[in-house]
Amino acid sequence: MKRVFQHPPEASNGRKYWRSLGEQAETPEFKQWLQREFPSTHAEIESDGISRRNFLRLMGASVALAGFGMTGCRRPEAYIVPYTKSPEWIVPGKALQYATAQPRRRGAQPLLATSYEGRPTKLDGNHLFYKSGFSKVYGPSDTFGQVSILDLYDPDRLKEFRQGKEVKDNVVFFDALNAMAATFGDGEGVAFLADASNSPTRDRLRGELVKKFPKVRWVEFDPISDEAEVAASKAAFGGRYLQTPNWDAADILVTLDSDILDGDEGGHEAVRGFANGRRKLAKGEKMNRLYSVEGRLTTTGAAADHRLRIASTKIGAVALALATRLGVAGLPGSPVKLTEVQTKWIDELAADLLANKGKSIVSVGVVQPAAVHALGHMINDVLGNFGATITLMAHPRPESATLASLVQDVKDNKIKTLFVLNSNPVYSAPVDYDWATLQAKIPTVIALSHEDNETTQNATWVLPAAHYLESWGDAWGRDGTYMSTQPMILPLYNGLSEIELIARIIGIIKYEAPKADAPKSETPQGFGPELVQETFRRISKGTDFANDWSQFVHDGFLSGSAAPKVAPAFNAAGAAALASQAASAVLPDGAYEVVFYPSPAVDDGRYNNNGWVHELPDSITKLTWDNAALISPATAKKLGVPDRGSQIDDPYTDAESSIPVPVFMFTVDGKNLSVPVLVAPGQADETISIALGYGRTVVGRVGFGTGKNVYLIRSSSKPWICSDVKVNKTSETYLLAVTQEHGSMEGRGLIREASLDRFQKEPDFAHHIGIQLHGNKELYNNPQLVPGKRDIHQWGMVIDLSTCTGCTACIAACQAENNIPVVGKDQVIRGREMHWLRMDRYFSGDINDPTVASQPVGCQQCENAPCETVCPVNATIHSEDGLNVMAYNRCIGTRYCANNCPYKARRFNFFNYNERPLNELYYGPLAQKGSPETIKMQKNPNVTVRIRGVMEKCTFCVQRIEEAKITQMTKARVTDSPEHGNKSKLIPSDSIMTACQQVCAAEAIVFGNIDDPNSHVSKIRGDALHNNKGADPRNYDLLHYLNTKPRVTYQARIRNPNMKMPGAEIFLKDPESYAAPHHGHDDHAEPGHGAPEHSGHEAPVQPQGAQH
Amino acid sequence: MADTKNLQELYPYWDGTRPAGVSPQEEAVAKQAIIRVPLIGNTATTPKRSYNWITEKVCGIIEAPTPLWWLIAIAITSTTSLLTVGGVLYLIATGVGVWGLNHPVGWAWDITNFVFWIGIGHAGTLISAILFLTRQKWRTSINRSAEAMTLFAVVCAGIFPGVHVGRIWMVWFLAPLPNANGIWPNFRSPLLWDVFAVSTYFTVSVLFWYVGLVPDLATLRDRVKSRWCKWIYGFFSLGWRGSNKNWSHYEMAYLILAGISTPLVLSVHSVVSFDFATSVVPGWHTTIFPPYFVAGAIFGGFAMVLTILMPARLIYGLEDLVTDRHIELMCKIIALTGSIVGYAYLVELFIAWYGANLNEKYAFWNRVVGPYWWAYACMMSFNVIAPQAFWFQYCRRNWVIIYIVINFVNAGMWFERFVIIVTSVHRDYLPGAWGMFHPTATDILTFVGTFGIFLTLFLLFVRFLPMIAIAEVKAIAPESDPHYHHPDDDRHPVAATTKPTHAKA
Repeated sequence: MKRVFQHPPEASNGRKYWRSLGEQAETPEFKQWLQREFPSTHAEIESDGISRRNFLRLMGASVALAGFGMTGCRRPEAYIVPYTKSPEWIVPGKALQYATAQPRRRGAQPLLATSYEGRPTKLDGNHLFYKSGFSKVYGPSDTFGQVSILDLYDPDRLKEFRQGKEVKDNVVFFDALNAMAATFGDGEGVAFLADASNSPTRDRLRGELVKKFPKVRWVEFDPISDEAEVAASKAAFGGRYLQTPNWDAADILVTLDSDILDGDEGGHEAVRGFANGRRKLAKGEKMNRLYSVEGRLTTTGAAADHRLRIASTKIGAVALALATRLGVAGLPGSPVKLTEVQTKWIDELAADLLANKGKSIVSVGVVQPAAVHALGHMINDVLGNFGATITLMAHPRPESATLASLVQDVKDNKIKTLFVLNSNPVYSAPVDYDWATLQAKIPTVIALSHEDNETTQNATWVLPAAHYLESWGDAWGRDGTYMSTQPMILPLYNGLSEIELIARIIGIIKYEAPKADAPKSETPQGFGPELVQETFRRISKGTDFANDWSQFVHDGFLSGSAAPKVAPAFNAAGAAALASQAASAVLPDGAYEVVFYPSPAVDDGRYNNNGWVHELPDSITKLTWDNAALISPATAKKLGVPDRGSQIDDPYTDAESSIPVPVFMFTVDGKNLSVPVLVAPGQADETISIALGYGRTVVGRVGFGTGKNVYLIRSSSKPWICSDVKVNKTSETYLLAVTQEHGSMEGRGLIREASLDRFQKEPDFAHHIGIQLHGNKELYNNPQLVPGKRDIHQWGMVIDLSTCTGCTACIAACQAENNIPVVGKDQVIRGREMHWLRMDRYFSGDINDPTVASQPVGCQQCENAPCETVCPVNATIHSEDGLNVMAYNRCIGTRYCANNCPYKARRFNFFNYNERPLNELYYGPLAQKGSPETIKMQKNPNVTVRIRGVMEKCTFCVQRIEEAKITQMTKARVTDSPEHGNKSKLIPSDSIMTACQQVCAAEAIVFGNIDDPNSHVSKIRGDALHNNKGADPRNYDLLHYLNTKPRVTYQARIRNPNMKMPGAEIFLKDPESYAAPHHGHDDHAEPGHGAPEHSGHEAPVQPQGAQH
Repeated sequence: MADTKNLQELYPYWDGTRPAGVSPQEEAVAKQAIIRVPLIGNTATTPKRSYNWITEKVCGIIEAPTPLWWLIAIAITSTTSLLTVGGVLYLIATGVGVWGLNHPVGWAWDITNFVFWIGIGHAGTLISAILFLTRQKWRTSINRSAEAMTLFAVVCAGIFPGVHVGRIWMVWFLAPLPNANGIWPNFRSPLLWDVFAVSTYFTVSVLFWYVGLVPDLATLRDRVKSRWCKWIYGFFSLGWRGSNKNWSHYEMAYLILAGISTPLVLSVHSVVSFDFATSVVPGWHTTIFPPYFVAGAIFGGFAMVLTILMPARLIYGLEDLVTDRHIELMCKIIALTGSIVGYAYLVELFIAWYGANLNEKYAFWNRVVGPYWWAYACMMSFNVIAPQAFWFQYCRRNWVIIYIVINFVNAGMWFERFVIIVTSVHRDYLPGAWGMFHPTATDILTFVGTFGIFLTLFLLFVRFLPMIAIAEVKAIAPESDPHYHHPDDDRHPVAATTKPTHAKA
C-alpha cells in the first residue's frame, strides 16, 4: 500500500500520455526529491516488483521469522495530491455515472459505468433503458456485464505493440501499416477475420473498406454462432431474421435445449418475461408455465415446471413428434422410438400448447442444428405465435464470408495479409481446419487482441486492443436499438479499437507526428468519437446533431431506434424441407453423445483470464475454476466411476469440496480429449456435456491451467453435438473444486414451495411447514421495534424464490461492488471462497432426474443477531436502521460470529487474498506483497479492502445506503421545515438498490425501507411494526423458530405444474415430503430409490402445529 | 492410626481369641477394616521413612547431579516444543489459513486443543483445593506435581485462543481499556468471559502453588551449597523461618487460597463450556455443558496427572510417597467422572431424540454416523468404555493396564472436544453451507509441540523444585501422630508418644 500513484506501469514503448498530475510529475527532479524524502516509497516505484525487493525479502526472512521484523504491523502510508486544476464534474470521492454499452454477440447490453476520479469501478444496467422495474433506478445486467470491468484492469493484458516477439513503438506500427495499406491495391490477398460484433460503425467502415479495396475478404467467426438459427430463418422466411420474442406475453414457454434464463440465449428480456409471468399469482391472472426439453440440466431446466431429460440428439425427434402432434403436415416420422412416458409427456405438452394458441413461445437452443430450429419455427407458426408472441427483425449484421471459405483461400495461398480482430481462431476454430498450421502459411498476420493468446503467438504484428470501456464505439442492442459505447478512461496500454484500426487502414485516420509545442493533455490521436459520430449522423437522421449526439451519449442509446418488426411470409415448404433433416439425427442404442455448451463462466474462452468468473460457482453443478464432462449418476455407475464417501447415485450425503474425480478419454472422429468427469444429477443418461472456453494454452496467470480445451475435438461438421462418442476411462484423477457439496435440504423446509393449485387453496402454506413455523414469544422489547424510537429507515430485503433462477449474477455483482477477493481453486477446495452471497442449490426426488430449487443466502441482517452477542470486541453490531454492520478495523478475527451464524453467511480472510499472489498464499512473508496496480484501480473506494484475519459479510451495500442518506440529508437541510418532520430526511421509496438487486433481471431481490409503506419491500413484508400484518402470504423467514428475526425474508416458490403430465404426482405431495431427509450414511438398499413413487422412502415429515 | 488399646475396644477379640462361627478369613477382613492403611509407605517392609528420609529423598532429587536421562529427555521435549513455536510463528506471519479451517468450520484444532489443555489443568487445583477443604489428606503426596501440571497445561491452553485470532496484533482490543472511541469489549460475549475466567484461574493457581512451595523452598535454601542457588531459593522463600507465626500465617493463607480456588475449579470449565452452550449451533446449544465439561475436565486431568506421575514415581523411586493407594484412588475418580461423562453423552443423545428438533436430531445423528463417526467412536470407547476397567481392583493395581487406560482417556478427551466442536459446525442449519474439515500439517505439528512445551516445563519443575510437598507430607507421616504406634511394633504404645514428634527437618 505504500504508494503514491495509482497508475499501471506504462508500456515501455509508445507515446507517453499523461493520466494524472502525479504521473506528469515523474520528472528527474521530482524523483530525486521523492527519493530524498521517502526512500522506501521510492524503492517501490523504481522496482520491477520482482528482483530487488524479493531478494531483500528473502535475505530478511530469517529475521522476520525470528519475530524481529514486524514490518507487516506498520500502518500503510499513502499520499493524496489535490488537483491544481480541477477537471470538470469531478468531485473527489464522488462517483459519476456514464452510459455505455457492452458489445455482445447477440446484441449489446446497455450499462452505466460508475467512475471515481476518472477510474471506472463498477458496471450496472442502464436504468434509462429499462423503465418498467419496481425501482426507478432498476437496470439489470448479467455475469458477463459485471465481470467485464475486471478485464479492463487485467494485469495480463497485452501492453505493447509487437513485431513478432519484439516490442515496437506504436508509431513504428502506424508507419508500417501505412506502407502496407499502400500495397493493398484492390485488396486481393487481404483478409479480415473478426469476431461477431454488433457495431454499426464497424459495419460502416467495413463498407468503406470494401469500397476502397473491393477484393478484400471480410470473414466473421465466432465459436458460438447463430448460424443454425439464421439458416432456419432463411428456409422459413427467406431471409436473415432474428426472433425477438415478447416473453411477457407468453403463457407457455417451451425450451428445446435452450438455456434462455442464463447467458446470451434469452438475454434479460427472457428472464424478465419469465419472472413477470411467475408473479401472476392473483386471482384472474394467469401464471406462465415453463417446459424444458434438454440433455444437460441448465438454469432454465432447473426453473422449469416440467423438464424432459433426453439426449440432445433426440431433441429433434421430440420436436418432430411435437410438431406432428400439433398438426404440422409434411414431416417425416420420428427417427427415435420414444418411450411411453416421453410420448405421454409430448402429448400433454401438445395439448397444453393447443389450449394456449398464440400465447406460447417455443425456443430452440444454440446447440441444436438448423433442422430443429426450423421445426421450432414451424411449431411457432402452427401455434400462431408469430406476430403474437414472437416478432422478427432483420439481422442487424450484414452477411459475411464464413471461416470455411477463408480456410480454402488460405489453402490456395490466396491470402497474403490477414487482420485478426479480437478473435482467437488458433484456439477456437474447428479442429478440422487446423488453423494454426494455416495461419503459419500467411505471410503477414496482424492480430489485434486484448491479451496474449494462442493466435498472437506467431502473428507478424500484435496490437493491444482497447477495452470497450476505453474506446469510442457503438452497438446494436438485442432489439436493434442503437447504443453508444463511450470511453471511461484513456486506453491504459495505448490499445487500439477495431474501428480505429480499420479507419487507419482505410486512411481515415492518418498518423501525424505531434507538434513540438502540442500540449501534453492532448488525447491520443485517433481516439476521438468522430468515427462513431459519422455513423450516428446516418442512423439518427436528426437535425440538431450536437444536441442529439450529446443526448445519445448521455442516455447510452438512441430512443425509438429499435429495429422495425417485420412479418415475412412463412415458407412452410422450405421449413419442412430443412426440418425433415432432423429425422436423420440418430443416437445408436447404448452410445454416448458429447454436447458442448457455451460456458456460463468463460463464454467461448474470452473471459478465461478473469478470476471472478472462474470463482463464480456454476448455477447447477457449483463447479469452479474448471470445466468437466458432466455425466448422470446412472451413467457414472455404468462407466465405473468409483464411489466416494457415499454411493455415486446418492450424492446427497457428499460433504467434500475437493473432489478427486476420474479422468475419461472421449474420442470424436479419431480426436481424443481427456476430461475429468463430474457426476451431475439431471444429466441425460447418454449425454456428456462439456463447457467450451477452458484449457487455454496461452493465457494470463489466472486462466492458466484451468479446465480442458474441448475445441480439440470440436469440428466444423459437429460443432455442438457429437453422437457416437467413444468413452474410455484413464488411470488419471483430477481435483475439482465445488462450492456446495451437499444437495439435499434434509427435509428442513428452507426453500418452501407449492404448486399453484395448492397456493390458491392455501395461500399461507409457507407458514405451515415443519418446525420452522414455531415462533417464540419474546419478553424483551427491542427498542428498534418500538414505534417512534426507531430510525426513519429500517432496511429489509425480500427474495422471491419463484422468480429466482439461481443464475448467480447477484454473486458476481456483489463481488464487483464490495471488493470481494478471488481466492483461487486451491482455497475453494478448502472451502474458503469469499462470496458474501451464495446460491444454495438443492435437489430432491430421483437423483437422476431431480427437481431443483435455488436460494440465495447472504447475511440475513437478523434483528436478534447471534453473531453480535458473541463477538468479544464489539466488531459486529447493530445499526439503528436495522443493519448488522461490521467494523472491519475492530475485528480481531476470533471467527466466533461465523460459527454462531445459523445461516453461515460470514466470510473470513484466511489469508491476505488482496495483497498476495494466490499461488504464494502459504509463503507468508516470503510471498510477493501488493496487488497489481490496475487491480487496485478497480476497487470500490467506498468499501474497505479487507486484510487477512478479518471477518466480512454482506451489509446490504451499506456504502450505497449511506451515500443516499447523505445526499438526502443535504437536500433536507435546504427543504426541511417543522411540518416536514423527518419526512424530508427520508430517502425516496425504492430509490436505492443493492448490487445484487440491481443486477437481477428477474427482480427476484427487492430491497428497501420496510418502515416506508410506499416502498415495494414493505408491501411484500407487511407492516414491520405490527407483526408483519398485511404481508404477502408467501413471505417467510429462514429458520424462523430461532427467533433471529432476519431482515431478509423469502417468498415461497410457486410452481405451475400441469397435473396431467407424467411425473406431476410429485407436486401433489407436501413440499417437505419430496425433499425427503437423508441421513448420514444411508445405504439405500431398495432398488429404484429416488423414483417418484419411492422418493419419500423415509417417513415424510408432516407439517405440524397450527399457524401461529 | 488406632493404637492397640483402641483396637481392643473396637474389636474385643483382637488378642487372638476368635469368636465362634467366624472363619479366619472373615477375621482377617475385619481386622483389615479396622487398621487404616498408612497414607504413605511406612509399613513393615519399608520401616524407615522418617522425616529425614522424606527430606533427603525429595531434596535429593534436586541436589543430585543432573541425570543423563533428564538431559536426553529435555533435549527431546524442548525440540518438540519448537514445533509449536514454529507453527505459531508461521501462523502469525502467514495467516490463519495455514490451518485447515474453512467456512463452516471456523474453529477446529485450535479450540479443541485449548479446551483439551484447559481441562487437564483442572485436576491440579481440584487436588489442591477441593481435596484440601474436604480433608482428603492423601492429596499431599501428589498435589505439588499436579498443581505444577495444571499451570503448565494452562500455559499450553493459553497459546491457542491467543494465536487463533486473525489479527493477533489487535488482540489487546479484548482488554477493557478506556479509550477515546468509547469502545469497550463486548461483555455479553462468552469469549470475553473466557479471557477473564482463564486468566483468573491461572493467576490464582500460580499463587496457590507458590504459597504451598514457600516452606519447601526454605528447606532447599537451607540445604543447597551453591551461593547462587541459595540466593535464588532464598529470594523465593520470602524469608521463611519456620516459626509458629510463619506457620500460622501460612496455613491461613493456604486455606483462603483453597477457598478461592474451589469455585474456580468449577467455574473455569463452566465458562469455557459457555463458548458453546450460549451459541445457537445444534450440538453446542446445550444446557448440560457446564457440569459435563467440569466432570470431563477432572476426568481428563486425573488421567494426565497419572500419565506424568507414574513414570516420575518410577524413575525417582517415590513409591513410598506416591503409593499404590494414591494411584488406586485416582483411578476411582477416573471411573466416577468417566461415568458422569458417559451419562452426559447418553443424555445428549436422548434429548436430541426426545426434543424432536430436526436440527438437533440431525446434529447428533451426524455425530454418530456422519463423516466424523470415527471421532465419535473413539470418544465413546476411550472415555466411556475404557475407564470401566477401574471397577476392578485388579485393574487399578496393574500399572500396565492403568497406563493404557489413562492414555485412552487422554486421547478420548481430545476427541470429545473435537467431536463437539467440529461435528457441530461442519453441518448445522443450512445443508447448502455444509463442509468438511481436514487438519493441515501445521495444525498437527503445532498441537504435538504443545506436549513438548508441557513436558519441558514439567522436566524443569522436577529438576529444580521439590515435586513432593515436603512439609505437608511430613504432616501425614505416622510420626506426626502423637499417638503413633505401629501395630507391628512390639514396643509399648507409650514409648511412641515419648518420641519427639517434631523431628528436625
